[in-house]
Amino acid sequence: MKKLYSNKLTIILFILPALLLFALILFAPIFVSGYYSLFDWNGFGKMNFIGIENYKELFTSNSIGFLKALGNALLLALLSVGVQLPLALGLALLLGKGRKGERAFLSIYFVPVLISTVVIGQLWLKIYNSSYGILNAFLRSIGLDNLTRIWLDRDTALGATFVPILWQYVGYHMLLMYAGIKSVPVQYREAAMIDGAKEGQINRYIILPCIKPILKISTIFAVTGSLKSFDLIYVLTNGGPLHATEVPSTLMISMLFLRNRYGMGSTIAFLLIILCFAFALIIGRMFKDKEED
Amino acid sequence: MKKVIALLLAMVMMMSLVACGKSSSDETSKDGSSETIDLTMWCIATESDSNRHAYEASIADFKAAHPEINLTWEATQNQEYKTKIKAAVAANEMPDIFFTWSCAFLGEFVDAGRVYCVDDVYAQYASELPEVMMGNVKFDGKYYGVPTTLNIVGMFSNMELLKEVGYDEVPATYEELIECCDALVAQGIIPFGCSGKETWCVTEYLESIIEKTAGASVLNDIFAGNASWDNDDVAKAVGIFQEMIDKNYFDPEGIALSNDEVKANFIAGKYAFYMNGTWNCADFDKAGLSDKIQVAEFPVIDSSKSKLGELIGGPSDTLAVAASSKNAKVAAESAFEIAKGICRYGYLDGNGLPAWTPDYDYSSINSLTQSVADIVANSSQMVLFGDTAMAADNANIYLDYVSQIYSSVINGQEFVDGLTKDIK
Amino acid sequence: MVKLNDIFVNRNKKSGNLVKSKGKEVWVYILFGIWALINLFPIYWMFTFSLKSNGEIFGENVAGLPREWLWSNYKRAMAVGNIGRYFANSVFIAIVTIVIVMLVSLMATFALTRFIWKGRKQMNKFFMLGLTIPIHASIVPIYVILSKLSLLNTYSALIIPYSAFSLAMGILVCTGFMQDLPMELDEAACIDGCGAWGIFFRIIVPLMKPAVATVSIYTFLQCWNELMFSTIFISDSTHKTLPVGVQALSGQYMTEWGPIGAALVIATFPTLIFYAFFSKRIQESFITGAIKG
Repeated sequence: MKKLYSNKLTIILFILPALLLFALILFAPIFVSGYYSLFDWNGFGKMNFIGIENYKELFTSNSIGFLKALGNALLLALLSVGVQLPLALGLALLLGKGRKGERAFLSIYFVPVLISTVVIGQLWLKIYNSSYGILNAFLRSIGLDNLTRIWLDRDTALGATFVPILWQYVGYHMLLMYAGIKSVPVQYREAAMIDGAKEGQINRYIILPCIKPILKISTIFAVTGSLKSFDLIYVLTNGGPLHATEVPSTLMISMLFLRNRYGMGSTIAFLLIILCFAFALIIGRMFKDKEED
Repeated sequence: MKKVIALLLAMVMMMSLVACGKSSSDETSKDGSSETIDLTMWCIATESDSNRHAYEASIADFKAAHPEINLTWEATQNQEYKTKIKAAVAANEMPDIFFTWSCAFLGEFVDAGRVYCVDDVYAQYASELPEVMMGNVKFDGKYYGVPTTLNIVGMFSNMELLKEVGYDEVPATYEELIECCDALVAQGIIPFGCSGKETWCVTEYLESIIEKTAGASVLNDIFAGNASWDNDDVAKAVGIFQEMIDKNYFDPEGIALSNDEVKANFIAGKYAFYMNGTWNCADFDKAGLSDKIQVAEFPVIDSSKSKLGELIGGPSDTLAVAASSKNAKVAAESAFEIAKGICRYGYLDGNGLPAWTPDYDYSSINSLTQSVADIVANSSQMVLFGDTAMAADNANIYLDYVSQIYSSVINGQEFVDGLTKDIK
Repeated sequence: MVKLNDIFVNRNKKSGNLVKSKGKEVWVYILFGIWALINLFPIYWMFTFSLKSNGEIFGENVAGLPREWLWSNYKRAMAVGNIGRYFANSVFIAIVTIVIVMLVSLMATFALTRFIWKGRKQMNKFFMLGLTIPIHASIVPIYVILSKLSLLNTYSALIIPYSAFSLAMGILVCTGFMQDLPMELDEAACIDGCGAWGIFFRIIVPLMKPAVATVSIYTFLQCWNELMFSTIFISDSTHKTLPVGVQALSGQYMTEWGPIGAALVIATFPTLIFYAFFSKRIQESFITGAIKG
C-alpha cells in the first residue's frame, strides 16, 4: 500500500494535468502581463522596450483617464461595502431567525446572482430606456414626469450603472451571511434570551462576532469584485458617455482592442491584479486587528 | 485494461494542452502548372451589408472566368472583423486576400511586413485604375492594396422641409445655410440630425466644417501627422460647430441615439439635413426619397482658405494580399479582378462611387448617386475620414475629443490644445 | 468557526419560538415581500415583454401580462438571432469544461490526499492561490498565445481557460470530500490487486458524486455566464456563446424588444429551471466556493 502510494511516476501523472493548466493559464500570464507592460506594442508589430513609460503615462495622461476610472471603481467598492453589505446583513439577520418561509425568501433573493450579467445588463438597458423604459413609464404613471430623464446620460450614468451591480449581488452576500448565522448554535441565542438580552444585543454580541470570518470574506469579495467589475458596465455603457462610467477593466479592453495598445492594456491588467491582492491583504489585516481588540 | 484506459485519458488530457503547439502547416505547396489553386478571402460583406450583392456578383464572375482557381470566401460583421483580422495578422495566419480599410489600418499591417506589395500587378491595370485612387494604399512609394469604391461625406437635404421655409434649393453659401437653419428652427423643424452615440457620425459634420474653414491641405497635413493640431482655424471651426449646436440646429436627443435611429428619423422627415457618407444614397433611393432629397457638399465658410470641391472622403474599402500567401502573385491578380467587379456592381447598386474608371453603362444609377458622382468629378482635393487616416490609438484619442466637442464639454481651443498634447 | 455545511440541518431544529411580537412580524414580512418584488419584478417583466409586440411594450400595456402571446418572438430570436446555435455552443463548452475540471481536479486531489510525498502541502497551497487570481491577469497573454496558435474562434479558446479558472474550486471541494473517505477502502482494494489507477477509477471516483455535483454546478454557472473571455476570444458567429450572442443580437435589433426579450429568456431559463429543482445544492456550492476561498 505504502509503496503504491509513494510511486513518484504515478504522483506526477496524477498531478501533472492540473499543474500544467495552473502554471500555464493562471500563473505564467501574470508575469507575462508584467513583462508586456514594459513595452510599446500594437499586438502584431515590433515590441519596443520603454521601461515604465506605460505606468507614467497611465497616471498622467488625461486622454486615458485611468485615475478617473480607478476612482469610479473605488467609489463602487465604497458603495458596495457601505450599502450592499449592510443591506445583505440586515436581510440575513432577519431571515436567519427561523421564520416561516425563510427558505423561500432566501431562494428568491438569490435568483439575480444566477442570471447572466449580460441578461441583467440588457434588462436594465430596457428598464432605463428613455422613451419606452419601465422606469420612466413608472415615474410618468405616478405623476412625476419631471423626474423622467435619459438615465444613461452623462450626469446619471454612473449611478444608473451602479444600481444593478449592487442589486445583483445583495443576494450573494446575504446567502453567505445567512449560512454563517445559521451555523451559530441555537443554544447560544437561547441562553442569551434567557439572560434577558434584547434582539439587537443578541445580534451585536453573539451573531456578529461569530460570523466575522464571513463578513471578512464578503468585504474582500465586494471590494475586489468592484475593482474588477466589467460585465454590467460593458453591457450598459461600455464606459461611456464620455468616460463617465469608465472603470479599469473597460479601459483595459478599449486599450487592447480599440487602440491596439497591448503594452498599455497589460499595464492596466497588471495594476489590477496588484490592487486586488493588496486590498485583500489590507482587509484581512483590518479584520485581524479587530479580533485582537 | 482499466489501467491502460486511464493512462490514455491522462495522456489525452495533456495532449489537449500540448496540442496548442502544433502549427497547421500541413498543406503541401503546389507548383502551379495545371493544378487548381486554392485561394481564401475574408471580407465584411455579410448578408445584411449593402455591399453583399456586389461581392457575390463579382466573385461569381471571377469564378466563371477562372475555373483553375478555387476561391473560398467568408464575410464577418464589421466590428468583429477588425478583431479577427488583427488576430490573423498577429498569428501570420491571414487569408490570401483580405478586406481592409486603407491608410492607417492597412499601414500597420504593412509596417509589420505582412502585406504583399502589388506594384507589378498594378502596372497591368494602371490604365483602368487612376493613380490618384491608389494614394491611400501607397506606403514608402509602394502599393499594397487595391481599392474598390469610394465615398464622401454629403449633406443630404430634405427639400420638402426646406420648401416650408422658402428654399427651393440647397443653400449654397454658409450665410444662406445659417439663415435657412434659423428659419427652420423658428418653424419648429430640427435642421440637423446627428448620432452622438457613434462618434464617427459627429466627425462627418466636424471634419466638413474644419475643412471648409481651414482648407483641405491643412486638414490633410494634420491627419497625416505633418502639421500640428495647434491651428487657429481648427479652433475657430470647432467654435462654429458648437455655435450651431447652441443655436439648437441639432436634435438634442441625437446624443443618445445610434446612427440607424438618426437615419430613420431623417427618412421619416424629422430633420431637414443629414450629413453622412454617400453610401446612404442607395438606402434613400430604396426608401423612395430620390426626388425628395438632394445631396450637396457643405458650403464654404472661409473662402480665403477653402473652396468648393474640397471634400471629406476617398477610397477606403480595399482588398489586400497576405505576404504569407503561397500564391501571392495569383492572389494579387485575383484581388484586382475581384475589386474591379465589386467596384462595378457596387457603383451600379448605388453603394458608392467607382475607384475604377467605368467602362460600362451606368445611366441607370439612382439620381442621388449620380449627383454625388458630379460632385466628385468636380472635386479638387479629398481628405480621408480622420478615424481612417489616423492609426488606431490616435484615431481613438481624436474620437474622444470629438465626442467631448459634441457634448460641449470643451471648446475649440481646448480641443486643439488637447489634441496637440495627446496625439503622437 | 462552526462547520458551515450544516446550515440546512440546523434549520430543522424548531426555532420558531425565537420570534416574539406579532405586530413587528407583519412589518418584517412586508419588508421581505418588497425585497422579493424588487428581485423578481425585472425578471417577470423580461418574461412578459418577450411575448409582446413593440406596440404593447411601448404602449399602455407596459407591465401587464401580454394580451396577445407572441411566441413568434422566440422563433425570430432562434432564426434571425441564431440563438439556438449559441445555446448549443454554451452547453457544449460548459459540458466539456465540467468534464475536464472534474477529471483533472479529481486526479490532482487524489495525488494530494492519498499519496505520501514531500511538498504536497505546498502544492495544495499553490492550487488554492488560484482562487484569488482574477481573470484579467491572463487576458492579454492568453489572447496573444491563442492568436499566435490561431486558436481564437475555436471552442478550446474558451474551454482551456475556463477549465483552468474553475480548477482551484474543483480541487478545493474534492479535497474536502476525499479526505473523508477512509483509507481502509484503498487498502482493501490494494489487497484485491488494484493499482493506483484502479483504486482511483473503481473506488474513489464513484464515491465522489456529491463533490462532482457541487463542482459541476459551480463550473457550469461560471461558463454559462462568462463574458470577458468570450467577447474577446470569439468573434465569429459559429462559435459564439450565449452571452456574446445575446449582446450581438441586441446591438443589431436595437428597436425590436420582443425578440431580444426572447433571447434573454432563452439564456436564463435553463439556470432558473435547474435552480427550481436544486436550489439547495446550488446555494451550497456557492457557499463552499466562497467560504473556503
